[in-house]
Amino acid sequence: MLLQLKNISKWVHSGGQKVFLLKDINFWVNEGDFISIMGPSGSGKSTLLNIIGMLDDFNEGEYTFLEEKVHSLKEKHRANLYKQYIGFVFQAYHLIDELTVKENLEMPLLYKKHSASERKSLVADMLDRFNIVGKKDLFPSQLSGGQQQLVGVARALIASPKLILADEPTGNLNSKQGEEIMEIFTQLNKDGVTIIQVTHSEKNMAYGSRVINLLDGKIE
Amino acid sequence: MLKNHIKVAWRTLLKHKSLFTINILGLAIGIATALVIFLFVVDELSYDRHYKKADQIVRVVLKGKMNGELIKEAVTPGPVAYTLQEEFPEVLQATRIKSNGTPQITYKNNIFRDQKFAYVDPNFFQVFTLPFIKGDPTIALQEPNTIVITQKLASKYFGNENPMGKILEFKEWNQRYKVTGVINEVPANSHFHFDAFGSMEGFAAAKEHKWIESGYHSYLVLDERVDYRNVEEKLPKIVHKYMGPQIKKSMGMTFEEFNGKGNDIGLFLQPLADIHLHSDFADATNLEPGGDIKTVYIFGAIAIFILIIACINFMNLSTAAASKRAKEVGVKKVLGSPKSQLIKQFLIESFIATMVAMVLALILVMISLPLFNDLSVKALDLTYMLHPQILMYLLILGIIISFLAGGYPAFFLSSFAPITALKNKYTNTGNSKGLRSGLVIFQFAISVSLILSTIVVDQQMSFIQNKDIGYEKDQILVLRDSWMLKNNEEVFKEQLFKDPRVSNITMSGHIPAGPSHNHMSSIYPGQDSDAIRRTVVYNIDEHYIPTLGMELIAGRNFTTDEGSETTNLIINETSARILGFMDNAIGQPVTMSIDNEGGTRQYSVIGVVKDFHFKSLHQAIDPLIMINEPSSGLIVRAKTSDMRGLIATAEHIWNGFEINEPFNYTLLDELYNQTYLKEQKMGTILRIFALLTIFVACLGLFGLVTFTAEQRFKEIGIRKVLGSTIPQIITMLTVDFMKLVCISFLIAFPLGFYVMNTWLQDFAYRIQIQWWVFVLAGCITLIVAFMTIGWKSFKAASMNPIKSLRTE
Repeated sequence: MLLQLKNISKWVHSGGQKVFLLKDINFWVNEGDFISIMGPSGSGKSTLLNIIGMLDDFNEGEYTFLEEKVHSLKEKHRANLYKQYIGFVFQAYHLIDELTVKENLEMPLLYKKHSASERKSLVADMLDRFNIVGKKDLFPSQLSGGQQQLVGVARALIASPKLILADEPTGNLNSKQGEEIMEIFTQLNKDGVTIIQVTHSEKNMAYGSRVINLLDGKIE
Repeated sequence: MLKNHIKVAWRTLLKHKSLFTINILGLAIGIATALVIFLFVVDELSYDRHYKKADQIVRVVLKGKMNGELIKEAVTPGPVAYTLQEEFPEVLQATRIKSNGTPQITYKNNIFRDQKFAYVDPNFFQVFTLPFIKGDPTIALQEPNTIVITQKLASKYFGNENPMGKILEFKEWNQRYKVTGVINEVPANSHFHFDAFGSMEGFAAAKEHKWIESGYHSYLVLDERVDYRNVEEKLPKIVHKYMGPQIKKSMGMTFEEFNGKGNDIGLFLQPLADIHLHSDFADATNLEPGGDIKTVYIFGAIAIFILIIACINFMNLSTAAASKRAKEVGVKKVLGSPKSQLIKQFLIESFIATMVAMVLALILVMISLPLFNDLSVKALDLTYMLHPQILMYLLILGIIISFLAGGYPAFFLSSFAPITALKNKYTNTGNSKGLRSGLVIFQFAISVSLILSTIVVDQQMSFIQNKDIGYEKDQILVLRDSWMLKNNEEVFKEQLFKDPRVSNITMSGHIPAGPSHNHMSSIYPGQDSDAIRRTVVYNIDEHYIPTLGMELIAGRNFTTDEGSETTNLIINETSARILGFMDNAIGQPVTMSIDNEGGTRQYSVIGVVKDFHFKSLHQAIDPLIMINEPSSGLIVRAKTSDMRGLIATAEHIWNGFEINEPFNYTLLDELYNQTYLKEQKMGTILRIFALLTIFVACLGLFGLVTFTAEQRFKEIGIRKVLGSTIPQIITMLTVDFMKLVCISFLIAFPLGFYVMNTWLQDFAYRIQIQWWVFVLAGCITLIVAFMTIGWKSFKAASMNPIKSLRTE
C-alpha cells in the first residue's frame, strides 16, 4: 500500500458555520494504481489532491504515506517526503517563466543534492524521452500549451517519483494534445508509476483503473 | 544554486526593464545626491581642523553694545593677544594676523599685484602649523622685513630660482622684504587664505598700546587641560584693567560710567573649529566670508530626506514587483525548495539591484561634482569617497537597503503555503497600502516644501534686484585703481568727462556696493558726548550725490560756490534719526572725534541724503556721514547703450598716461550682484535639489501607478465591459494618488513657510511670503504628479477589455 486516508475531513468557517470541503474521506492507493478523481465543480477534487500531495492541511483524520504518519510530521519532514516521492502536474503547467525548458527540468534536482553532471544527464534523458531536445533552450512562452504540459510532466518525472499527482492535466489543452499526455500517463503507469489524476472528462477517466467520485466533499 | 538565483534575478530584471530602471535610477539619484551633500557637509565641518593644535586654538573676538549699536567684531585691539598671554599662564601662545590688502610687489623690474598680504607675529607658524617647503617655521619671521610666501607665488616671482633670501620691494609702503620661507598653498578648508605673510616685527603699529582701536585677528593656544570658557570668564577684568583708562581718556568717562549708560564691551573666545560655520561678525571684520551652520543643517536635512525617499521608494517598488512572483514561489515550493533558499534568492536579487544603484550613484557623483563645486565654490573631491572606511559605510548602507527592500518579499512571500501562492490568492493587505500612502505623502511633502522654498528664494532675489536702494546702480563705471595715476587723476577725469557718453563723474573711493572697507568715526550731536555713535564716513566731492543718483531730502549738496565746505557735512536719514535731529537737521552742530585721545572736530549739517543701502540687504541701514574731502577713485555715470565703447575710450585715455599699469574697471550693478552671489547660488542648488526630489518622488509614483494598474487589470476590464468610459477609469486610477498629493500640502505648507520665514529673517529687508506662492507650488506639484500618472492610467484605461478577461 502506497498511501491510506482515514476519516479525512477539512472545513472552513464561513459566517460562524463550519463548511465542509471534505468530509470523512476514506480510501487507499496501492503502488501501480491509476486513479481518477471525478466530480462536479466545488466537490473538493483539487482539495483532496492537494492533501494527498501534502500541499494542504486537513482538520481531522489520519493520512499514512509509505508507513509515515503525514498528519503528525513536521513541515520540513513532510516537504522531504513529497520532494522525494511525489511529482506534480498542473492544469496551468506552472513552469517558471524566467527559466528555459532545460532549466525548468533541472529545478527539482537542485533541491535534491544531485551533482552537476548527474543533473545534466538526467535532464538530457528526460529531453530525449519526451522528444523535446530541440526545445531545450526555449522559454515557456515560446512553446504551445501541449509542449508546455509535456515539459510539466517531464519535470514531475525527473526526480523519479513513486506517485504523480495531476490536477486536470489536459484542462488547458486541445483534444489531440490531451490524448498525447494521457498516452504518456498510461505508459508511465505501465512502467510502475502510481498516478492520481483529477479530471472532468469521462474520456480521460477511461485511462485509469479506478475512479473515485466526489460530491460535496464526500465519496459516493 | 547561487548561479540559478542570479540567473533568475537577471532575467526577472530584464523582463521588468522599465520598472527596474525606474527603481534603480531613483535609488541611484537618491544615493548620489546624499553623497554629494555628504561631501559638502564633511568639507564644511573640516575647516581649520588640520592644524596640529586645532583643539587648543581659540580666537579672541569683541562683542558689545554702544549707544544702541550692536558690536560684533572678529577683530580685537592689538595688545589683546600678548596681554592675555602675559596675564594667564594657561595661555601658552598668542599670535595675531593683520590683514593688509593686496599690495603691489616688485621683484627686479616685474610688478606683481593681487596677492593677499598679512602681517603675522613671528610665532604664527608654530600656532598655524602650515608645512614649510623651504625655511624654518620657528625662525622664519623673527626679523623685521622678512616674508614667507606660498610656493605658487615663489614660482611666479622667481621661476626656478631658489626663492630663499631674495628681496621683494613694496614700493607703496617704501619697504623691502627678504624671503625666509616657502609654504604650500593654505588649504582650501581654512578660514584665511593669504599668499604672503610678512613679519609683524617690522610693523610699528602692532606694538602700540592702543586698546580702543581694533584691527587684529588674535588667536590663543590654550593649555589642553583648560576649558576655554574658564579663560573667557576672566576676560572682563582684563577689559576693565586695560580698556578702562583709555575709554576715560577718549570719551571723558570712567569705565563704570560707560557701562552705567547701558554700554557694554567685552572680549570673548571662539574655538578655532567654530570660526567657519558659527561666525556672525560684521562682514568687514571677517578675514573671509564664512559658511553658515544653517546651510549645513538645511543641506544635511535634504540629504537625509532624499535618501529616505529613494530608499523607501525602492523598497515599495521592490515589494510591489515581488508580489508578481508569487507563482514562482509556489512552483519552487511544490518542487521542494526549502524556505531558506527562497529567502536567499530574494535577498540576493535585492542586493544585486542595490549594488547596481550604488555604482550608478558613484558615477553620477563623479559627473555632477564639477557642477556642484562651481555652485558651492568648493573643490570637493571624489577620492575622499574611496577611503576604505567610507566604502565600508557605503557597503553597510547597501546591505541595509537590500535587506529592507528584499526582506518583505523574502520573508512574507516565502512563508505562504505553496497552494496559496500558486493560486495567486495573495492580495495587498490594507496595512501595506497604508504604508504606501504614508510614503507618497511624505515624499510629496518634501518636494512641495522644496518647490516652495525655491519660489521664495527667487522672489527675494528679484526683490533685491528691484528694490529702491537709494541710488541708481545701472550704467555706472567704477575705476578703483585711478589712484595709480597720482597727480594725473584729475587730468584723466577732465579728459574722460569730455566724452559725450559720460553724464557725470565723481572722484571718490566710496562705493555703496560690493566689499567695502569704510572708515568709521565716532560722532555726537553738539557737545553731548554721551550720545556718541560710531558711523561710516564717506569722503566725497560735490558730484558724488548726483552721479550716483542719490536724493537729498533736506538741505543742499556740497558746492564749490559757497567757499569752504570743510566744516560742513551731509548725513543720511538714519544718522538724523539717531542723532535726534528729527526733521530739522539742517544747521545742527555735530562733533566728530578724530583720534582716541579726546581730540574732536566740529561740523554743521547742510544736507540730509535719503537712506541708501551701502551694505547688503541683510543688514539694516547704519548711520553714515559725508564730508567734503578728496579721496581717490573715480565713479562714472554713463548715458549710453555703448558701455563697451566708453570703456575702450577710458582705457585709451588711461594708457596715454604711460604709468605701466593695466586699466581695470568694474560695473556698479555687477558689484551689487556679487554681494548676493551666495544667495543666488544657494537658490540654484535648492532648485536642483527640488527638481531631483520631485523627480524621485514622481518615479515612485509612476512605479506605484504601474503596479496598481496591473493589479486592477481585471477590474478595469470588467468595468469597461460594463460600460465605463476611459476618463472614468483614468479618474478611478488617479484620484487616490492625487488625494495623497493634496494631503501632503497640509504638511508641506507650514513646514515650507516656517523654514523660509526663518531664512528671510537674515535679511533686514525682505519680502512677505504671499498666499499665491502656496497655490503656485501646489499647482506645479499637482500638474507634475498628474502628468506622471496620467499617461500610465490612460494606457491602462484604453486597453482592450478582452485581454484582461481572457482566462489562463
